[in-house]
Amino acid sequence: MIASLLPRNLRRTLAGQLLALAIALALGAVVILMIDENPLRVFATLMRGAFGDSEKIAGTLLQTTPILICGVAACIGLRGGMFNVGIEGQLFLGGFAAAWVGFSFALPPVLHVLVAVAAAVAAGAAWVSVPAYFRVRFGANEVVSTILANYVAVLLTSYFTIFLFKRPGGWSETPPILPSAYLPELFSFSRLNIGLLIGLALAVATALFFRFTTTGYAVTMVGSAPKFAEYGGINVRRAGFGVLLASGAVGGLAGGVETLGVHHRFMEGFAPGFGFDGLIAALLANGSPIGTIFTALFFGALRAGSLLLEVDTTASREIITVIQALIILAVSADLLLRRKGDRTGGRRWKF
Amino acid sequence: MEILATFFNVGLVVATIRTTTPILLVALGGSFTTKAGIFNIGLEGQMLIAAFFAVIGSIWTGSSFGGMLIGVAAALAFALVYAVLVVSFRANEVVVGLALNILAGGMTISLMKAIFGTRGSVVGRGIVGLPKVQLPGARDILGPSYAQLISGYTPLVYVAFLSVPLLVLFYARTRLGLYLRVVGEKPEAAETLGISIARVRYIASLLCGLFAGLAGAHMSLGYITMFTENMSSGRGFMAVAILIFSAGDPLKVLLGCLLFGFADAFSLRLQILNFPSYLILAVPYAVALLALFALSWRTRPKLIRETLETMRNALAGKPQDSGGKLPSDNRP
Repeated sequence: MIASLLPRNLRRTLAGQLLALAIALALGAVVILMIDENPLRVFATLMRGAFGDSEKIAGTLLQTTPILICGVAACIGLRGGMFNVGIEGQLFLGGFAAAWVGFSFALPPVLHVLVAVAAAVAAGAAWVSVPAYFRVRFGANEVVSTILANYVAVLLTSYFTIFLFKRPGGWSETPPILPSAYLPELFSFSRLNIGLLIGLALAVATALFFRFTTTGYAVTMVGSAPKFAEYGGINVRRAGFGVLLASGAVGGLAGGVETLGVHHRFMEGFAPGFGFDGLIAALLANGSPIGTIFTALFFGALRAGSLLLEVDTTASREIITVIQALIILAVSADLLLRRKGDRTGGRRWKF
Repeated sequence: MEILATFFNVGLVVATIRTTTPILLVALGGSFTTKAGIFNIGLEGQMLIAAFFAVIGSIWTGSSFGGMLIGVAAALAFALVYAVLVVSFRANEVVVGLALNILAGGMTISLMKAIFGTRGSVVGRGIVGLPKVQLPGARDILGPSYAQLISGYTPLVYVAFLSVPLLVLFYARTRLGLYLRVVGEKPEAAETLGISIARVRYIASLLCGLFAGLAGAHMSLGYITMFTENMSSGRGFMAVAILIFSAGDPLKVLLGCLLFGFADAFSLRLQILNFPSYLILAVPYAVALLALFALSWRTRPKLIRETLETMRNALAGKPQDSGGKLPSDNRP
């Protein structure tokens, strides 16, 4: 069954992505040489920082969790033909909503977590609903509107944190959430929590949904061949709206898991770039939720490794952003695909 | 009334012109690609990389002009990569644009740490800002308080505002301008005419890089001479929003940019009234979003548009016009 969840022409896709990866790493090495560092040393430090011992591996998995959930959010959007670039903003609002429920209400243990997670999901979906409405109703470009909404979301949550809920005498952060809203931790030596399992379950569930349900098939068709879907009697607009809403809800969930599981409070800039990392992971996995598990793990390892990079070498940790961007550029060129047909036609991104 | 006078004065107009300039430059650059039928979301990254290399260049060469040239060269390099991937490899333009934006962000921070050994921002260190142009005679004609309306800006301010009429002429009167529009609106027709679509799109991308580079140079060498992490802070995306509802038309681009420049300048003044700074910082983005949503109503479904058209014609007592005459079709 697992095999049937993977893309059909898996070998060609894998070969293409691996070639792209090799090209990107070669280009990344050139950039590292430009900033006067030894590429081999940088890559070795990254690996050591990511998989050096069991604590480091747990750290990698901790970084993987939000990237994976955001990646699933992006996958949902991509499969339905929607570029949700606003996952970052949904993550921030979801994180804030979960923290707010966490410190404002006193509820019994399990119920508290459920209510907080539900608030995160609702916040993410609500934040994307306005761009989604204008996208399906009037065709307002969702890429630009969700990007601009990111900036507003980050500033808005900062405003909430600092002007409305600031912990007296503390940093720019809210009061800590009550222990009843903590997500259970998996090991004693790390903050790694059941968020990772939530992410894995979500990825598998999303893959099953797209592979085995009628609605999933309809959404895939709306994404890849909207005309065909419309002839088939599918309400393309409603499907598009639903896709963006689901994607935003999962983005909000990512923020909720991050505050309830890791930080136990909301703070300014609590999860920088996870939304974009998730989108990149989904693109590298070609929109496959199962593939996103592996690409999210890869990017999580890069992130965890970059922490050691900052300590052990003079390179800045943003060098991994450069490597990620190069990977996506190399993947987008899609070197193995034979180019055919009209020279005037539209561009493609195959799923 | 007094409070109004502190808000609406010559200073606000001057501030609006200053804040409009970078976004106008980058949006005019984007108008080339928009007209040529490319949705260029990579403006943000081109601006950012140009701002960084303009600072580096001005330190290396010791002149602001040299800095500007090096900044523009960096933006052109990004534009070239964009064109190679999007035009030749036919990659998805959104994916490539976003990846280049991320690349620009990561690269500037990494290079800043490698070259200057700091995080955050680069100030001083021999950065040379662009000179201020004093127009001769401005003081005599307008008097000392109004002379600042037209005089004392950096050269790029004049370049930006003078480019608007030049671009109008370019699209209407030159062969390349016509080719750009044909390639964007009807690529099949362009191909039949023997126009190389790929070449025209390459030219459009590079022209876009040129203007985005100037915008970046103005950001870091204009009124503040420094580079900060992610200092373009979404201006490239606002430009894309403007391009979407203006369809790349230079005059509409100017109007949209003035709106954002005003929102920027005005929100800075709101800080006097002790509004929370976070909400004030969000004003330009909110304005961009509202404009994008409000003006997307124009592209409402064809059916409604045509019904309204026929109703208007019927009310005016005109014969039914079945041809698709669009008001935007204002060619000479």
